[in-house]
This record gives sequence, C-alpha cells and structure tokens, in this order.
Amino acid sequence: MIRLTKVELRRLLARRLTAAGLVGLFLITILLLVATYFEARPLSAAEQLQAQQQYEMAHKDWVDHSAENLRLCEADWAKQPDPKPKLEEMCTYPEPRPEDFGKPPTIFAEIMPELLQGSSYFLAFAAFLIGASFFGAEFSSGAIGNWLTFEPRRLRVYGSKLLAAATGFVPIAAVVLASILLGTFVIVTRLGDSSNTTGKVWGDLTAIGGRAVLTTALAAALGCIVGLLLRHTAAAIGVVMAYLVLAEGVFAAFLEKAQPWLIKLNFDAFVRHDAQYYVTECKTGADGSYLCDYVQKTLSFEHGAWYLAIFTVVLVLLGGWVFHRRDVN
Amino acid sequence: MSDVAISTRGLRKTYRTLRGRKVVAVQGLDLEVPAGGVHGFLGPNGSGKTTSIRMLLGLVRADAGTMTVFDQPVPAKLPEVVGRIGAIVESPKFFPAFTGRKNLELLAEAIGAPRTRVGEVLEQTSLGERGNDRFRSYSLGMKQRLAIAATLLKEPDLLIFDEPTNGLDPAGIREIRETMRGLGEQGKTVLVSSHILAEVEQVADTVSIIGHGRLLASGTVAEVIGGGTAPTVKVAVDNHEAATRILTAAGMTVRADGNYLLVEGAPDPADVTRRLAHQELYVSELVPVRADLESVFLELTEGEGL
Repeated sequence: MIRLTKVELRRLLARRLTAAGLVGLFLITILLLVATYFEARPLSAAEQLQAQQQYEMAHKDWVDHSAENLRLCEADWAKQPDPKPKLEEMCTYPEPRPEDFGKPPTIFAEIMPELLQGSSYFLAFAAFLIGASFFGAEFSSGAIGNWLTFEPRRLRVYGSKLLAAATGFVPIAAVVLASILLGTFVIVTRLGDSSNTTGKVWGDLTAIGGRAVLTTALAAALGCIVGLLLRHTAAAIGVVMAYLVLAEGVFAAFLEKAQPWLIKLNFDAFVRHDAQYYVTECKTGADGSYLCDYVQKTLSFEHGAWYLAIFTVVLVLLGGWVFHRRDVN
Repeated sequence: MSDVAISTRGLRKTYRTLRGRKVVAVQGLDLEVPAGGVHGFLGPNGSGKTTSIRMLLGLVRADAGTMTVFDQPVPAKLPEVVGRIGAIVESPKFFPAFTGRKNLELLAEAIGAPRTRVGEVLEQTSLGERGNDRFRSYSLGMKQRLAIAATLLKEPDLLIFDEPTNGLDPAGIREIRETMRGLGEQGKTVLVSSHILAEVEQVADTVSIIGHGRLLASGTVAEVIGGGTAPTVKVAVDNHEAATRILTAAGMTVRADGNYLLVEGAPDPADVTRRLAHQELYVSELVPVRADLESVFLELTEGEGL
C-alpha cells in the first residue's frame, strides 16, 4: 500500500494538470496579496484632503440642522400609530467624526480569517478538480485496466489513489496558506495595523489554516471518488457546478432552513469555527398582523465537523464498493 | 507444476444493455490452456474471447463458473499469481501524456521491479530510442511493443495477448508473431486471441475455438484441422462425367470446381489416379487440398449460426 501510494504520488506530481493547477494557485496567491496591498494602502494626500472637506461639510450641516431635524423627527414619531418604534431608533443624529470619512486602517486580525476562508474555497476547488482528473482520466484513457493487471487488489489500488491525492495536497495547501498569511502580515504591518496581533490571534489563524489544509486534502480525495464514480473529469466538474448552482444557490434561497444540511455552510463552520447564516422567521402578531424578521443563526463547529466527517466516510465507502464491484472494460 | 496453465469450467457472464436487455457474452465456457507453447484462442467478433480474458485477469466479474491460473483459483488468488501473468487486453492503454519510459517506470515501481529493468525491456522491444517520447506520439506498432515491454517487466510465465496484431502493418504483424513464437519456444505459455487465423496457425501449437461464448473445438492445430474436415484432392481430368461416376461408385464425394473435380473421402490420393487409370481416364493434375484452420473455423462457426 505504501509503495503504491508513493507511485501514485509520483504520478500525481508528474501530471500536467497538477503542474497547471500549481501555477494557477501561485498566480491566485499573488493576486490575493496584490489585492490586499491595494486594500491596505493608505489614502493619497488628495484623497485625504477630499475626505477632510467632506467631514467639515457634514459637521457644519450637523451643527446647523441637527437640533431642528431632531425636533421634526420627534413630532413625526409622536404621530406614529402604536406600536411605535423606539424614539432613539428613529431619531438619532450622531455627531460626524473625522474617522467616519475616508478609509479606515486595515487591521490584520480582522481581515485574515476572511482571507483564509476565501483561500480555502479556491484550494478545495483546485484539489477537487485535480483529484477528479487524477482518477477520472484513468477510466477515460483505459489505463486503469492495464494498472489492475499489475495490481489486482482493487481496494489497495483505490486506497493508494485517495491517499496520494489527499497527502499530495497537504504541502501544497500549507505553502499557499502560509504564503497568504505571512504575505498579508508583512503588507498590513507596513500599510495598516497589525499591532493587536496577539498570540491568541496567531493561534486562531493557524487553526483556521490547519483546517483549510485538511478540507483541501478531503476535497482532493472526494474529487478522486467523484471522478471514479462518473469516470470522467468533465462530468465530475459538471456535477459540482450543478450542485453549487442548484443546491447552494436556488434550493438554499428557497428553503433557508435547509442551509445547515448543505455542504458550504458546514464547510464554513468547520474552517472558521462556527458560521453565521440567516433565516426569515415570520409570525402573526396578537393584533393579526403578519411580521417577518431576518434572524441570524449560528452553525456550530461541531456540526460542521461531524457533517464533513460523515459525508466523507459515506462517499469513501461508496467509492470503494463501486470500484471493488465494477467491471473494467 | 501442473501441465495446465489456464482452466475454466462453466464460465458465464451476462451484460445488461442500456435498455436493460440481458446479453450473454460467455455461456458455460470450458477452456484448458496447456502450460508452455502458444495457444490460439479463436472466435468471431463478439464470441466472448475478450470477456473471457478479462474475467481471467479479474477485470470483469464472472456470474458463474470457476477459473484457475497455474492451479490457483482466480480471481480469489489472483494477487498470488499476477506476478507470473503479463497481459495486453485489446489496444494498449497507458497514460497518454507520459513518456513510454515514465509509464514503465510507474508500473515497475508498483510491482517492485528494479528501475534498470525498464531500460532492459525497452531495448528488448526496440523502443530504447523512443522511450523518452510521449505515449500519445507512438504509432500503433510502438504502442503494442510498449505493452509487450510492460508485460516483460514481470518476467512472466504466462502471456495473454488479445488481438495483438489489430491495426498493425505487415512488418509489425511479423514482429509480434516472432515475439510470440520466441516466448513460446522459451517455455512460456502464450495465450493469443485473434480472428486472423493464418497468423494463429503459423504460431500456435494448440488452439481453442469458441462461438456464442461456448467452446466449439480444442486441441493441437493438427487435431483440430484433421477432425474438422475430410481429406480433399483437386483433380484435372478430361471426362468429368465418367470420372465422377467412377469415383462416386468407389464411395467418394465428387463436386465440380471449374475445370477441376474436388474429390473428398479418398483414403489416399493414389486411389483416385488408380481407379481412373483402370478406366483409361488419365489424370493431368492432382493437388491435395489441405484443410486449414480458416476452413475449420468457418465450418464450426457457420454450424453454430455465427
């Protein structure tokens, strides 16, 4: 098994699609860092002057009119039918502050979790694509038949391919995420604010990165399985795209309460350690009115972890069973 | 060691078409391939040759029946004997974007063969100079040679070639034929499935003929040819009518064939000339018509309605 896995790893790394995927990941990493640089870049002198002028205009308007606006608003509030909204919710006119105008500084601890999560998406997608091609191409070229005349123990062959795809992506994902993490830190330290990056922040970011590496490895293995089941890379990609559009897009929009049972939210909950989602909750009030609220809910890390674990185990078992039983023609 | 390399008993395989219809590919095949030498495995297209080979190699699951390779039941014990089997099933299938050498290196590593063996088998199959070219750039003949090189990585005792000369030019066909013959002479068992009967007749020591997934005939080439048709002679004589009457009276079967008569059932060609000469009919030409594998094959398969 170890020997077979090594052979499969060598094959994975020798494939042109893997090389193209690595170049793609490298380019995306560079683009992300460039985007971070532009995001963190402070305003130019002209932009700062413009922001200052806007602040001064807003402040003058506030000084001139806020008292009158408040009085008019309170009068309007008094005319509102019951149940009235709270007065401070309806009639608040805070004094403008200079920091409300122009661009706030980029804070490393605030942007990095989002950036790592975003990176985990494209890493998982690339791993899935390469994994699907890694196994699917063997069926479309017919090479799997030749391979099995050298090693007929199918479950070993299956296991070695999954292991090779998964372990092959661990260092790749680790290098990409580490580059993004450290590159962003350097950029934000120079242009923004990384002063509050405590040991706990680094620990949390490392944990997110570690989980993103794990999901990338799982995506590569699952890509292999889908490639095996469909016997074609293009079919595997088609299935994923159809799932994303139909299940994660259309279905999730119509049936919001089903979101905890879809892959993406569980993926987010696992990588980010809890994830927020929104559902519309409607009820009929005592006076017969029908009211709807947009309510934020949290999907726990544990839910995401169990979901992904069960999903992976089921798919691995299904793939193993199919590969063990299927005729190779 | 047993003198039988491959044995199947009651081997059966059915497929289901996309419309759900069942198609019987192999039905109760009893096959025996002796160890050592070249065994031809003949049958028309769709007779179940490739499916039978795939079942032997564990690529396709049999519905019923038993198979042994070197006395080991397969597919259960296939891992134990697979190191002794080299196989090319239909057209050679390798990773098209890798070089021939890379493909062989991966296979060698998978079975624990030393990497130096790759260079040796490439040289053995005259691919040494093209080993670093991509597989997809190879001609069909080169692909076939690479497949043979792959089988030789294991130094196998049994080689299975499924339609090995398909699409090859005459030089390629000759090369493959010589390779098979050479392996057979080295004491290895070569099972070659083909429908090019003249090819098989030239290299095979023994043959099995199948049709509709069943065994129709089996034995040495001489046995199969001899058992399939009666000896025939082609006779040129002036008076066809009189000659036909004389030979028919002697219990022979006579048919006209242009300017000749085809005479079957003569124990010895001399009998024909003697009987005709007695009646002052003189033979100007007499050619023994040797039955060949093709005629036996056609006779057997036509009898099965194939």
